[in-house]
Amino acid sequence: MNNLIEFFKKAFHIIVLAVLLIVSIVMLGKSLAFNDYSLSRVVQSIVGPIQKSGASMIHRFRLGPENEQLVKQNIELMRERDNMFIEKTDTMLTEMSKPDSTNTKRMRMYDYTYAHVIFRTTDRTFNYMIVDKGSNDGISRDMAVLSPEGVAGVITDVSPNFSTVRPILHPECRISAVVTPANQNGTVIWEGTDPHVANLEAIPQHSEINIGDSVFTNGFSNIFPKGLFIGTVKEVQVGNNASFLTIRVSLATKYTDIYTVYLVENLYKAELDTLKAHFKDE
Amino acid sequence: MNNIIFNILRFLFLLVAQVAICQHISLFGYMTPALFLLALFLLPLELPLSLQYIIGFATGFVVDAFAHTLGVSSFACSLTMFIRPHIARMLNGSNNVKFENIDRPIPGVKDFRWVFLYTLILSSIYQITAILLETMTFRNFGHTLLVIFGNTFFTVFVILCIEYIFHPRVKTES
Repeated sequence: MNNLIEFFKKAFHIIVLAVLLIVSIVMLGKSLAFNDYSLSRVVQSIVGPIQKSGASMIHRFRLGPENEQLVKQNIELMRERDNMFIEKTDTMLTEMSKPDSTNTKRMRMYDYTYAHVIFRTTDRTFNYMIVDKGSNDGISRDMAVLSPEGVAGVITDVSPNFSTVRPILHPECRISAVVTPANQNGTVIWEGTDPHVANLEAIPQHSEINIGDSVFTNGFSNIFPKGLFIGTVKEVQVGNNASFLTIRVSLATKYTDIYTVYLVENLYKAELDTLKAHFKDE
Repeated sequence: MNNIIFNILRFLFLLVAQVAICQHISLFGYMTPALFLLALFLLPLELPLSLQYIIGFATGFVVDAFAHTLGVSSFACSLTMFIRPHIARMLNGSNNVKFENIDRPIPGVKDFRWVFLYTLILSSIYQITAILLETMTFRNFGHTLLVIFGNTFFTVFVILCIEYIFHPRVKTES
C-alpha cells in the first residue's frame, strides 16, 4: 500500500500530463469530427463576444475605404434607376410587331460619378463648394451635384483636378422643381441667409400646397434627372400682391456637413444645348 | 508574492498580445509568431511539475479558443511544458533534479547560448507538434516543413528580441 502511494506521489505529474494530453486529443477529435459542433459552440459562445468587440474596433480603422466602396456600389445602383433612361418608341418596329414593350428603345440619358467636397461656404450670400475631381476625371460644366440626401447644386467651373460647385445656396442657382402631390411646377431659389431653407416660386395661388409636401426636380433643365428630392415644404404664405404663393422649402441637403457628393452627367446635353441655341438665334 | 503577481501580469499581457495581435500576423502568408510561448518559457522552473503542465494546457486552450483550433495548442503546450525541465537540465549540463531560484531561464542569469538554445528547442517542439496536429496530414509535407521552419524562426526571433529588450538587471553570482 505504501509502495502504491509512493508510486502515485512520484508519478503524479505524469498522470496529470497524460490526462491533459488525452483531453487535448479528445477536443481535437471532436473539432475534427464531421458535423459535431457541440464543443466549439460552447467555446464560441464565450470567445465570440470578445472577438466581436475586437473586430468592430479594428473595423473602425477601415471605415474610410469601406465608405469609398459603398459610394461606388451606390453609384452602380443609382445608375440603374428609371429616371436615368429615356424610352423611345421605335416607329419602324411598331408597324411590324405587336404594340408591346418590345418596340420601345431604352437609352441611357444620365450617368453618375462621385467626388468629395474639400471646401465649402454656407454663411455668405454667394456660397460655393469645391470638389476634388476635375476635367481629368471627366467632370464638365453644368453637371448636377447631389448629396446623399438630395439635390446639392451645379458644377460651374472646372480645372484639371478640381471643380467649383454652385450650391442651391446661391441666388443665381435656379432649379426647376415640382411639388407633389399638387403636381405644380415652380423654381427653387435661395435668397435668404439660412442654409437650410430656400423659396419655391411661381406656384399659382389656387394650388393646394400642404406643409410637409415633397419637392422634386422635374427634369426640365437638362441638368437634373427627373424625380430627385430637393426638400419638403415648411411654410406656405399667400402673397399680398401677386398671383403666386410664397413657399418656404426646408432643403434636404445638409450643407453644413457635406462630404461625399454624386455628380450627374447628361449624356445628351450637347445635343439639347444646340437645339436651345437655335431657338435663341431665331 | 510580488514575483507571482508579476508572472501573472506578464502572462495575461502576452496572452492578450498573442490573441489580439500576433494571431493576425502572417508574414509571407504563413509565418505567425507564437509570442505566448515566452510566458511559458519564463515560468519559474521550480514550480510543481503538474502545475506547470496545467498552466501550459490552460494557455494553449485559450489560444485555441481564439484561433478555432481546439486541442492543437493545448496538446503542444502541455508537451512543451513536459519537455522544458529536461531541456533546461540538459543545457545546464547537470542532472541536478532540484532547480534553484537562480536557474531562472532569462538572459542575464544565463548566457546567450543557453537562452537561444532553450528558446529554439522548445519553440521547435511546440511548432512541430502544433502544426502537424493542425494539418493532420503528411501530404504536401514540403510546405508543412516550410511553415514549421518559418514559424519557429519568427517565434524565436520575436521572443529573443523581447527578452533582450526587457533585459532585467540581475546580479549574477559567478
